[in-house]
Amino acid sequence: MIPGLELESASFRYGELWVLRETSLTLQRGSNLVVTGDNGVGKSTFLYVCAGLVPTSTGRVLLDGQVPNQLRPSDLFRHGVRRGFIFHSGGLLSNSSALNNVILPLKYHAETLGLDEAQIDSRARELLSDVRVSQNDFHALPAHLSSGVRRRVSLARALAIQPNFLFFDDPDANLDRATRALVYDMIERFRDDHDVTLLLTSTSRELLDRLQVPVRELAHGHLLEKT
Amino acid sequence: MSMSQDPLPTARSTMPYDPRRDYRPRTGVLGAVGRSALSNLRGLAELLATLGNAVASISTPGGSARRTAHAVTLTQILFTGVQAVTLVSIIGMLIGATIVIQTSLMVPGADGELLGKILVAVVLRELSPLITAIIVAGRSGTAIATELGNMKVSHEVQALSSLGIDTPRFIVLPRVVASVVSVVVLMVYFSVVAVLSAAVIGQSVLGPSPVELRAGIGRALLPHDLVLFLFKGIGLGTILGWFACHYGLKVQSSPTEVPRQASAAVVKTLLGCVVYDTALTVLFYWFGGPPLR
Repeated sequence: MIPGLELESASFRYGELWVLRETSLTLQRGSNLVVTGDNGVGKSTFLYVCAGLVPTSTGRVLLDGQVPNQLRPSDLFRHGVRRGFIFHSGGLLSNSSALNNVILPLKYHAETLGLDEAQIDSRARELLSDVRVSQNDFHALPAHLSSGVRRRVSLARALAIQPNFLFFDDPDANLDRATRALVYDMIERFRDDHDVTLLLTSTSRELLDRLQVPVRELAHGHLLEKT
Repeated sequence: MSMSQDPLPTARSTMPYDPRRDYRPRTGVLGAVGRSALSNLRGLAELLATLGNAVASISTPGGSARRTAHAVTLTQILFTGVQAVTLVSIIGMLIGATIVIQTSLMVPGADGELLGKILVAVVLRELSPLITAIIVAGRSGTAIATELGNMKVSHEVQALSSLGIDTPRFIVLPRVVASVVSVVVLMVYFSVVAVLSAAVIGQSVLGPSPVELRAGIGRALLPHDLVLFLFKGIGLGTILGWFACHYGLKVQSSPTEVPRQASAAVVKTLLGCVVYDTALTVLFYWFGGPPLR
């Protein structure tokens, strides 16, 4: 078994609020975990810490054996750590269209991904179509899209980099039935992919029942076992 | 373990948001003074790190990343430089005219020689760099700081990191380079407009023809002026882009921080520009300029 995500005595706090206290956790590559917990316990922050987007106060995080905070994001990418992150809200570049949001990482890493201009464009369109974004919305700015479509564009962008880590913050929040079904299908694909380590935060009973993956509860800075 | 006893590490983080900043142990007055001094030093180190990381990112491998950053630079030049042309034209024209009117009041009948000297000393060496910097800081400095602050609030900067896109290379460097290019070009443009305006107004108010004025300017200009002009343009442009990016990226998670940091960006940019401009002027006259009489 190869470790994918490792927390080594990781702590993090916002002022007086402990999100994590000396927590250790190992997720093998290709394994899955859903973190649940009450509102305000820091589930989103926990996800940022695990993805290396926010540094720990003490301890460290390793992704495929690399410490994300010690490397440039592009170096991490070149070392094979590809983090797809779907934020609960925001995350899309507000001054770029839906299509350009997906194109950007493909263009930036064109050499590493082995893509030329034409392939980048067609790949981005294909990804947006896969998550059922209408062609009419391809050139719209995120502010002009519904929250469901924005979530799908974020998903397409995360898929664009062929992630081996997928971090999904509250995947089915504020989504209609059709978009929720699409998101669940996508998550199930990643759940069954042995190359992708999947970490979700959610409080949705429907999602937990459907995914049937290990669940931990975040409370007072500790990850508690949950059945 | 109680909160006050929790040890926090001293290692520096490479991330824009560092939760360790929030750590405030309770100490007395001396402790508060020391903490304030350390906080200022840390602020200075972070400011220098913003520019240092941007410069270091030039050597990051990846031709496609470089091309993407070039595209951002061109967009920023359009926004910072090209779109400021109208404003610079109007202000340059009015400054040129004002200088001539003031000269005519103080030295009635001033010839092309004197007017040329005044235009070189006042417009080309001082007002052109400083007023251009003030215009760009007011127009683009606030816009850059606000844009980046909003990007921080809406997780766009974090999203870029997660996608393997480096903030110094994709966000900071293009804006600093665009700011330098824009300021240098706008300074030249400002100078040309101000001198042309002075020539037109000068002929009608004071009498010297544009040819006499051109000859006067030619005699007043020194080879060192080109060096001073370039150093001022490059330095002021760097300060503008650098400070705007730094303060914009200092925003953490609250929208209320955005106007505060945008305001700090402009205030500190203007202060930095005036200090830099003054220092260069002093050095210029000290080392190579004409004696001050």
